[in-house]
Amino acid sequence: MITQVPQPVLEVHDLTVSYDQQPVLWNVDLSLPAGQLIGILGPNGAGKSTLIKSIMGLIPPTSGYIKIFNKPLQEVRTRISYVPQRESVDWNFPASVLDVVVMGTYGKLGLFRRPGKKEIQIAEDALEQVGMTAFTKRQISELSGGQQQRVFIARALAQQADLYLMDEPFAGVDMATETAIFQLEWVIMLNLHLVASGPKDQVMTEELFRKTYGGKLNLHTQVTDLIRKQDFNPLKS
Amino acid sequence: MTFDSNAFLIIFTGALIAISCGFLGVFLLLRKMSMTGDAISHAVLPGIVIGFFVSGSQRSLEVILGAGLLGILSTLMIDALRKKAKVQLDASIGITFTLLFAIGIILINLFAYKVDLDQECVLYGEIAYLPIDLWITPNGLNLGPRITWLAGINFFLILGFTYFLFKELSITSFDEQFSSAIGIPSKGINLALMSMVSYTTVSSFESVGAILVVALLVVPPSTAYLWTKSLIPLLRLTAALGILIAILGYYLAYWIDSSIAGMMVAVAGAFFFGSALIKGNWPLGLRGTSKSNPAFDS
Ligand SMILES: Nc1ncnc2c1ncn2[C@@H]1O[C@H](COP(=O)(O)OP(=O)(O)O)[C@@H](O)[C@H]1O
Ligand SMILES: [Mg+2]
Repeated sequence: MITQVPQPVLEVHDLTVSYDQQPVLWNVDLSLPAGQLIGILGPNGAGKSTLIKSIMGLIPPTSGYIKIFNKPLQEVRTRISYVPQRESVDWNFPASVLDVVVMGTYGKLGLFRRPGKKEIQIAEDALEQVGMTAFTKRQISELSGGQQQRVFIARALAQQADLYLMDEPFAGVDMATETAIFQLEWVIMLNLHLVASGPKDQVMTEELFRKTYGGKLNLHTQVTDLIRKQDFNPLKS
Repeated sequence: MTFDSNAFLIIFTGALIAISCGFLGVFLLLRKMSMTGDAISHAVLPGIVIGFFVSGSQRSLEVILGAGLLGILSTLMIDALRKKAKVQLDASIGITFTLLFAIGIILINLFAYKVDLDQECVLYGEIAYLPIDLWITPNGLNLGPRITWLAGINFFLILGFTYFLFKELSITSFDEQFSSAIGIPSKGINLALMSMVSYTTVSSFESVGAILVVALLVVPPSTAYLWTKSLIPLLRLTAALGILIAILGYYLAYWIDSSIAGMMVAVAGAFFFGSALIKGNWPLGLRGTSKSNPAFDS
């Protein structure tokens, strides 16, 4: 079912990922082209976050391998940006919005080196892109859910990467941020069981969803309905 | 009330220990690992006893190494129990440190006749004797109180550790997965932090004891957390509290003729409860602004 692309940005080969010997993802094969926005759909608990985490090397795969820009992850870490689910951290952490966004620059800085003027400038630019300039000094616990999500996206922008992996980046964000995301030529992975890649109308068909999700189809029929609507753009490619 | 060189030495050493513990405690608190600090400070006991037995001296490098190894062993054990044996975190902490602590107590009793290791001292410490426990070199040079030296070296180590690894310590405390994703060695940073906690416990156990050192790891950072909104002010306030606790603890203990370390912890507790009263989420308008401001979802 996989559309093989020439010179893929991301290749996943026969990936199986398990928690405590219980496979959550199995035999996932995918290969994604550059310069596209790609979504992976799946119901709650389908394994979307697990797939992203194993691509980022946070969960070791049981079998299979992953190549990014045709190289193993370790060699290209600084070229990949990661947005975890917002719920994965404690937002009562004593840090300002700027403190968190500057963290995006730490990967390229390396051990012991401290962020300086250049890194702060990068972070401020990223905050401007998501329309959060007014909140630079605000403590992160004093933000709304959508604003926290924008802080995470700004932190990913500050990584200045070539490939962006985002786990549910649209949860609660406003139109401006959405636009900021779409202006960039990213690959966005939202969900699991990617069966194909390519133009939205060829990929997001009911037949493909039926093949992928089998018994869990109900939810996805609604998703396809959603996609047919003009105003639903996250999956535009 | 007196202020002489002995009083100064005790307060100075107490403040060094309180600040050292406080700095590490801030990161334990932010990682929700305060109880791991508690576990480590108890679990180092068998390492201390074995090091003591091997070298015959509580001033030896063997004691520090023994404690460091046991401290790391205990964090690994807690992690393994939780991940492999599927025991809840709090239970795996409880199992690990009580077991290691018990082994330490048994070892003390077994070896007590061979080495002069005072169980009371290990458990409770005694900072009051500090001015008479001098560090005298083999050729008779008096360098001053040994415990102050130990606390001083530890203080500078921890200061260097938090300064040079500030970026790594803060990002791994806030978002461990993101840190790993961008190539920051979060596991290594964590082990380094745990080793520092072990080492601090060893260098403080003679003065404040293995039990009270836990209070210094947990209470001042928790108090400062109630008042501050970002990390550097949090560390600063923790340090200021450490100094206040040492001064007030000394004079109150002097006044009612009680244990100095015990009084330091009591003062720390009083500061915490005072702050919780002011900053906590109490009814009747007793409070200022609440810390746990729930994010209003958009
Ligand atoms: N740390 C974990 N330990 C064990 N099982 C897990 C863990 N994380 C996720 N799972 C399980 O893996 C499956 C996929 O989870 P996840 O990737 O978070 O799904 P999604 O992001 O699609 O909602 C779920 O059934 C979940 O229960
Ligand atoms: Mg998820």
